[in-house]
Amino acid sequence: MKFKNIVTYWRTVLTVAEITLRHQWNDSFILFAILIQPMIIAVLALFMLRGTGEDYAMFVVVGSGLTGLWSSLLFISGNSINGEHWQGTLEALVAAPIPFEVIVFGKNLANVVQSLLSMTTSYLLAALIFGYSLNITSPLLFIGSVLLSVLAFISFGLIIAPLFIMYRGIQQWQNAMEFPVYILAGFLFPIALLPSWTTPISYILPPYWAARALHETSTGAGDFDKIIFAWGMMLIFSVVDLFVSSKLFKLMLHKARVDATLETV
Amino acid sequence: MKTITNNLRLFWQGTIFSYVALFAWFRPTTYAASKILMPLAQMIFFTFLGSYASGGTNVDFYVIGNAIQIVAVSGIFGVTMSIGGDRWAGTLPYLFGTPANRMMLFFGRAFMHIFDGALGVLIALGWGAVLFNVDFSQTNFSALGLTILVTTISTCGLGLLMGCLSLITANVMFVNNTVYFLLLIFSGANVAIDTLPSWMQTSSQTLPLTRGIASARTLIAGGSLADVAPLLLGEIGIGIIYGWLGYILFKWFEIQAKRKGSLETV
Repeated sequence: MKFKNIVTYWRTVLTVAEITLRHQWNDSFILFAILIQPMIIAVLALFMLRGTGEDYAMFVVVGSGLTGLWSSLLFISGNSINGEHWQGTLEALVAAPIPFEVIVFGKNLANVVQSLLSMTTSYLLAALIFGYSLNITSPLLFIGSVLLSVLAFISFGLIIAPLFIMYRGIQQWQNAMEFPVYILAGFLFPIALLPSWTTPISYILPPYWAARALHETSTGAGDFDKIIFAWGMMLIFSVVDLFVSSKLFKLMLHKARVDATLETV
Repeated sequence: MKTITNNLRLFWQGTIFSYVALFAWFRPTTYAASKILMPLAQMIFFTFLGSYASGGTNVDFYVIGNAIQIVAVSGIFGVTMSIGGDRWAGTLPYLFGTPANRMMLFFGRAFMHIFDGALGVLIALGWGAVLFNVDFSQTNFSALGLTILVTTISTCGLGLLMGCLSLITANVMFVNNTVYFLLLIFSGANVAIDTLPSWMQTSSQTLPLTRGIASARTLIAGGSLADVAPLLLGEIGIGIIYGWLGYILFKWFEIQAKRKGSLETV
């Protein structure tokens, strides 16, 4: 996707995001993915990690929030094009003069932003129900990390959505992709626990760098250089993902127009 | 005699057809993703989390708990699809229009998922041995097999009740997912039940899986069938209660739907 398009069509991006938020707020599966599941994982992790260190509650809040972000990206953003297809609105969106990827970007923006509720809910749960005193060690750096994480997740979602609609074989593995990323991205435990051959896989996952930046800025576990490095990695992955997604969208629309299969893709 | 034969035939045919036609994951790729890889990844995730929490000292606790908890994938999601599928496929009015024995129809929906769920646990325990070196040298395997079977039956009992909910609400997957994840806490798969608050301990005793998981842990640690017999009796009792509640709801739903003429709109 061309970054210029986001700037040119910023009003469209925001409108699509608003409509998506209004549309999805009544969807019980989305409520489950962004509120219930992360909350249950947070409760579980709070019980399991009792006594592992004074920062573990904050670690759990951020980690369980990230599980909500990833599940939402996988199941909601991943199906953002499929969803239009099922509703019969895909043809109209593709025919619109605005680039199709701008619309999907707006949808992903809504999904990722609403998924931040996962973290807020987990925070409230840990503070109000479990009575933890939670402090973010570096608030400004944490906000920076959240913003870059949002960009990294949206960009990653722009790759997943066209892949899922073009290659149904990949989408059928959707259910199996949720927990592996929880594991490989180190949402709730360090990846150092995993076999060393998995480390390179973690490094190529944007959620891993988001988790690092958010954990280090919230618990104070990392120094400034490490945080900046994680930010840099998220930016690089975002640029690469946007570039790759532009090719994927072009391929998807080309296939649909040449084969006249937009209704059946 | 003829009635018994007819009912058994109905039970068997209902079992096979509902599994093949209504179980949405019954395709090789989807089955592998949803019934094998997803539960395996979930088990690995919680085992690593538990290992991190316990400093690597109590890995067996998490592997066994999560491996047995896998029966909930078949017991809850599978059974719900096999019951609720008639609603989505539009075949519910035909089903209620037949003079077939309702009990055979209803409980037949869960039959294949019992074996499917038990197979999932065996695969998970196998992976537990390979990946996390769970020691089965002291295990009474026939008693463990019985435990897995009993736990799967009891979880399918809960699934039958949840499946009935799918006939009266469109949000059943929300309810199912929530119940599935709550079982991760309340069944003792990941947290020792005696460390939970007292109201949670009480709740966990009313659920399937709790006694099955405790029984499996005891048996793998070298316990005998006699040690776990009370747990297994409790587990099957819980399953029968849930299954029976589901059957009552199913019958009630049929009567209400026919009385109000709401079969088409459920």
